[in-house]
Amino acid sequence: MTEELLRINGLSTRFFTEQGQVNAVDNFDLRIDRGDVFGIVGESGSGKSVTARSIVDLIESPGEITDGEIWYNEPDLADAVREDRPEAVDGTFVDLRRISPERRRSLRGTSFSMIFQDPESSFNPSLTVGEQIAEAVEVQRRASANPRSTRARTRSEEYSLGSFVLSSFLPSKRYVTEASRERAIELLELVGIPDPVERADEHPHEYSGGMLQRAMIAQALAGEPDVLVADEPTTALDVTIQAQVLDLLDELQSETGMTILLITHNLGVIARMCDRVGVMYAGEIVERGTLEDVFDDHVHPYTEGLLGSIPDIEGEAGRLQPIDGNVPSLLDHEMGDRCHFADRCPNAMEDCLEHPPEYDAEGSNDHAVRCVLAAQEYDERRAIPDGYFDETRPAGDKHVDPEDADEGPTVDEPQRPLEEPGGESP
Amino acid sequence: MSAETPPTSQPLVSVDGLEKYFWENDSVLDRLFGDEPVAVRAVDGLTFDIHEGETLGLVGESGCGKSTAGETLLRLQEPTDGRVEFDGDNVYDLEGSDLTEFRRDAQVVFQDPFSSLDPRMTIGDIVQQPLDIHDVGPTDERRQRVRDLFERVGLSVDQLDRYPHEFSGGQRQRIGIARALALEPEFLVLDEPTSALDVSVQAQVLNLLADLQDEFDLTYLLISHNLSVIRHICDRVAVMYLGEIVEIGPVEDIFEAPKHPYTEALLASVPRASTDERERDRQTLAGDVPSPRNPPSGCRFRTRCPMVIPPDDLEIDQEDYRAIMNLRERIERRDISLETVGGDEEFEFTDGSIPPADVDAFVDALRERVLDRELPARHAELVDGALAELASTDWDAAGTQLREVYASVCERDRPDLGEDGHPVACHLYADNECETLENVR
Repeated sequence: MTEELLRINGLSTRFFTEQGQVNAVDNFDLRIDRGDVFGIVGESGSGKSVTARSIVDLIESPGEITDGEIWYNEPDLADAVREDRPEAVDGTFVDLRRISPERRRSLRGTSFSMIFQDPESSFNPSLTVGEQIAEAVEVQRRASANPRSTRARTRSEEYSLGSFVLSSFLPSKRYVTEASRERAIELLELVGIPDPVERADEHPHEYSGGMLQRAMIAQALAGEPDVLVADEPTTALDVTIQAQVLDLLDELQSETGMTILLITHNLGVIARMCDRVGVMYAGEIVERGTLEDVFDDHVHPYTEGLLGSIPDIEGEAGRLQPIDGNVPSLLDHEMGDRCHFADRCPNAMEDCLEHPPEYDAEGSNDHAVRCVLAAQEYDERRAIPDGYFDETRPAGDKHVDPEDADEGPTVDEPQRPLEEPGGESP
Repeated sequence: MSAETPPTSQPLVSVDGLEKYFWENDSVLDRLFGDEPVAVRAVDGLTFDIHEGETLGLVGESGCGKSTAGETLLRLQEPTDGRVEFDGDNVYDLEGSDLTEFRRDAQVVFQDPFSSLDPRMTIGDIVQQPLDIHDVGPTDERRQRVRDLFERVGLSVDQLDRYPHEFSGGQRQRIGIARALALEPEFLVLDEPTSALDVSVQAQVLNLLADLQDEFDLTYLLISHNLSVIRHICDRVAVMYLGEIVEIGPVEDIFEAPKHPYTEALLASVPRASTDERERDRQTLAGDVPSPRNPPSGCRFRTRCPMVIPPDDLEIDQEDYRAIMNLRERIERRDISLETVGGDEEFEFTDGSIPPADVDAFVDALRERVLDRELPARHAELVDGALAELASTDWDAAGTQLREVYASVCERDRPDLGEDGHPVACHLYADNECETLENVR
């Protein structure tokens, strides 16, 4: 029995930077079933982290979600929203882009929760780990004690001005109750931290990287979320520790039945964890389907190239089959309206100069590919001549990482006129 | 890369007992206050050879000392002890023109292409700088050489006047490789050359390195934590753990028939990019790498080793033994908080011990907390005896009681790396331990 949990249509997230508009996520569609582990894989700069953050609504200036719908299947929420915003409800689905920001915020932790790549910088170094987890528990507890109120979670007495002033005299004043603290210890135990009682009173620097990642998972689980968004959860860890953390996520997933959206660049992690996979390139999913569809019956040359680039740990040491060129620029005026992979693609044809729609492909029902090769055979006579794209792309690689592009938040900067993309003959 | 077996001639690089310690609490002020300096044993006794034309891989987790080993070997750091012979000369005794010559012959490519290139120099100047420093030929020749190098590593010559920030990670790594090749070295230390790169770009760089090796007869020391990369381009592999080499041998042997339990665990931990991955039988290692400030005695892997060897006269299940050894470890480190034992109805410690009437309950509560498996009666009794000592906070007595019965050969003796073609530093493979081996397996 599968039930659709998340349905994303046409999501676009853009960053407005001094160099121009960066289309980090562009017209992005995604469906995730309840209880699935969905993996998004791609290289750096392909927009996978921005996608994750867009879903949890953590995009900050100069970034902005400019378009799209995020339908979330939650009957209770649908009932609550129906009164004041009927247009945002469709059956049991609610469009998260059209509900009030307060209500949206109230979903963080209880419905959507996130774990980040770097555990060391995600914790406050001056508070104990137990306290930080208890804080997360406390926030959820207060919210569930007062479910109708979507605001004022932080406006209760504990967070009053008087309390703030008092805390500067009495640094020992804690904002968490004993019950929350105990729950925090339970959570630490759940994620396999030995001696959770003592460990709860330690500061983040006393934890090793793997332990801290476990603690972060505990914190994310505080609100018993429906969807756990894991953004490169093991990238900063060693392989033996990575294996431990993946085992833990696997166990937690089968115990709680939560849905996991796993973002990673590591195809091995995807193969280990995921039921369904989406391969991202230049802000869109170029191929998606079940694990078997993508790993064994892939159609898109990029998927092929990605898999061909990994040295095999078990097999013969043949020569690698890398993808030529570099990760593309996501600047709007450099992207053009063609298949974004065409300039690196060994099988590029004239048809690739138009942006391809998503085609159904062989394999399971979910297998879909954004490539003309799904609909027609490669025809050498129609191939794009070598060097065709050299003129339309700058020589130096101007690859802009949206994460780095936060200087000069010129949100109001008018969109530059589009340079004529590669549609013309050079 | 080259499939032929390494030649048996004189090795190009011969490392013997290399040690590099870093010292903490070693300032004048610390000495005034009488603090003892603490050694961080980053590299602790490495011995290996690198033959001409081969690629030796140095693999291990972060903090195992592999990068320090690479830097010390090139004399970018002064060693604490040991010697390194390059082409027959001890690298640490070189002076003057000999040293300059060594610097030309041995080069390094660093991990991070973003911080290893001077942002204020054009990439042409960066690649030309080694030629200037070593005064190679007239200026025209140098320029031509830079152009050749650029072509060779796959960069466009008309980009010579650009600055590093204009390039992507993969291109910068190519610049770093071009710089390392400028002086026509014989030996290259590649320190995680592809860790900062995306997989598709990593593959390009790996192919380039393979081509260059064939073309210029280079000898590589490849330092990496990525086992797939090691497998792909190395002829021989040395596996490091906590400053020591635990196993060294031809790449096929290491990957197909690993001997050391650490190598086995490391290989099992890597997720494979294939649809069979979920069904693969894998055993993950518990725990973290211990601190190199105070490494475990004997075999350094024994604190995590699933195969740790019980004493000959003891009949015990391997997993039970592992659990008891973990407990011992914690008692010896005094890493159990006795005050919080028993949850809500805590036990009162007066003068460091609890009333005799409560001892049994205390032991039960403590056992519950520190052991997650049921031990056979005989061992349970011994463990309870030790835990009872903790009721009077007598850590030493508890530790001694357990040590007397459970002391392993792995903690008494530091295993030696053998001499044969595939040496491994593990007591399971020592000759006199053959019987034990059969007991364990």
